[in-house]
Amino acid sequence: MFRNILEKGRRLAGLGSLVAALTLAGPAMAQDKEPIVFGGSIPLSGVFAFAGIHIHAGLTDYTSWINSQGGINGHPVKYVMEDTAYEVDRSVAAFKKISGSDSPATYYGDSTGFMKTIASELNSQGTTLMSGASFATALTDNEQYPYQFIPGPNYSQMFGIILEYIASQGEGGDMPTVAFVYSDTEFGKDPIENGKARAAELGIEVVEAIVTKPGSVDVSAEILKLRRVRPDYVVFHGYVLSPINEFMVQMRQMGLDTRFMGTFWSSDKLIIDKMGADADGYMGVMPYNYYDSEESGPMLDALRAQAEKSDPEAGYRPTGYMQGWFNAMVWTEVIKRTLDAGKELTADNMAASLASIKDWDTGGIIGIPVTVRDMSFPVGRIWRVNAEEGRYEPVSEWIHLD
Amino acid sequence: MDWLFFGEISLAGLAMGGLYALIALGFVIIYKATRVINFAIGEIMMFAAYLFLAFAGGMEMSAWIALPLAVIGGSILGGVIEKTMIRPMLGESPISVVMVTIGVASILVGLVEFIWTANPQLLPSFLPREPVFIGPLYLAPKIAYGFLIGSALLIVYLLYFRFSRGGIALRATASDQAAAYSMGINVRRVFNMAWVFGSLAASLAGVLVAATGGLSPQFGIIGLSVLVVVIVGGLDSILGALVAGVFIGWLETVAGAYLGGEYRMPATFLVLAVILVIRPYGLFGTREIERV
Repeated sequence: MFRNILEKGRRLAGLGSLVAALTLAGPAMAQDKEPIVFGGSIPLSGVFAFAGIHIHAGLTDYTSWINSQGGINGHPVKYVMEDTAYEVDRSVAAFKKISGSDSPATYYGDSTGFMKTIASELNSQGTTLMSGASFATALTDNEQYPYQFIPGPNYSQMFGIILEYIASQGEGGDMPTVAFVYSDTEFGKDPIENGKARAAELGIEVVEAIVTKPGSVDVSAEILKLRRVRPDYVVFHGYVLSPINEFMVQMRQMGLDTRFMGTFWSSDKLIIDKMGADADGYMGVMPYNYYDSEESGPMLDALRAQAEKSDPEAGYRPTGYMQGWFNAMVWTEVIKRTLDAGKELTADNMAASLASIKDWDTGGIIGIPVTVRDMSFPVGRIWRVNAEEGRYEPVSEWIHLD
Repeated sequence: MDWLFFGEISLAGLAMGGLYALIALGFVIIYKATRVINFAIGEIMMFAAYLFLAFAGGMEMSAWIALPLAVIGGSILGGVIEKTMIRPMLGESPISVVMVTIGVASILVGLVEFIWTANPQLLPSFLPREPVFIGPLYLAPKIAYGFLIGSALLIVYLLYFRFSRGGIALRATASDQAAAYSMGINVRRVFNMAWVFGSLAASLAGVLVAATGGLSPQFGIIGLSVLVVVIVGGLDSILGALVAGVFIGWLETVAGAYLGGEYRMPATFLVLAVILVIRPYGLFGTREIERV
């Protein structure tokens, strides 16, 4: 406990030093060109803080790195954020404040709720391109959300990737069966109907769809339902950790040989750290290479070097860090393309630049060249927990949906 | 109808209801003796579960040493809250006291986030993992053993309140504070004791529930779910807490299994609404309860 407090104090002290250093060094670093601002409503506290602090670290480190590379076309980059505690009203207030004072070209939204709420204002302003923590399918509706994009596959696309993998495991024309387990939240329900439709197209039978109460304390009744249908695969969505552990442990205690899979936010190393050996075999869909994977590439190496430089003692960086870094990478690419075309940094121009991304080499963050479709990056790979090694290992090739 | 499935579901629900009853007991003991609705009960549960995590996980103590230490830690916390924050509010309006408990809940969440971070946690596994069968009926081991441990404490409490001097003082104070005071009972001490005992029951339930459903700073929200139990049973009725706890646990589980997880809460709130209409003081509560 005390070590934890000391570590937190040391990190805060480190952060304070960084802020002080940036403040003092600001004038000296200033370049002739106007800075480009990355804004952010970041959940450093509240229910999403476990990811928010790493997202913030990813955005901060990317900003430092890009400035060390000369900024974007000579423009220095400034990252301005406010803590929102993962509350929509605070996120909206932060957006208004940062928009008013810093005119951000791009902005990180901390939740689907915030990104939907702010859409009309974002559309009327027409100055800012937004992405963030959300992979919500709804946000890929270009009519309603023309200036928002998903920094990976949306949740329906994640289900699509998972189902393609499951279909590929069918032997002798015998297609595996699947059950969906999701939380009774907007987040949890997001991909279910599309997932069922996609499963039907692939010939996979969805034998059960179970919704659990958020923060549910006991899922044994739901597990008893699964025991009766004996699915080959269970796909979780809308969770970070619990109750995935309970489903896995209890179903294995019942002697079932079901395999378990999850989407982005339930595929971090947290599952391994907390479940230990029980996590072995769990699979997740992930659009980015894991920080500790054996993959490499110029950008992935730069990310690791920057992460090491900014906090040498942090060790492994979670998927939230990768996601924060990738968001800023996409913003940079979009801004660069817009400036290179001699256009102003308006939301329309940046959205057009984003849509023009085709076969983009992300330098190893994503293992294959990616193409934007409907304001998302519909690509991912299935990774499986090797509990003994304490990490995820790839079990599929990269899957890029059409 | 698949009766075996119904039996298994019911068994799981009743076992979970036993844990609800334990939390409700903590709620009712405090209300019965002090007339304070303790909205921090869920956060006291959470704090005790984090103490268990620190003792059994961080310090690698045996779970069977960590469990009583965590429960005692939670009960001491309850006593300290009463002495430092609730007692100075004596004589103030019930709304003010309720607001203090909500403030305490918020402080505890902040404290937990500061010490243990906001990351979701799992408690070290300490209950047997072999499946439990009652006849042909399967019961998840964590739920089964959690129910047994919780029931043991419930029995100890019932015996204590029935036969011990402290229990009689507590019941006397609950019945009539002025009369108890005139008979030489140290009412302030009884108030403190009620918070300690109430928090102890909640703390044990906190560790057992967290062992099943995981732990995070938002864990305390379960305290609000249990509010349904105590309103249905009667805010000042220990029997009501036990009966309503078991019933609500069963109802939630059966509704979740047959109607879907999204109907768990509506089913219990439907019961709450009906009870509030026909018996606003709860199934076993007394009529003169002051509502806030």
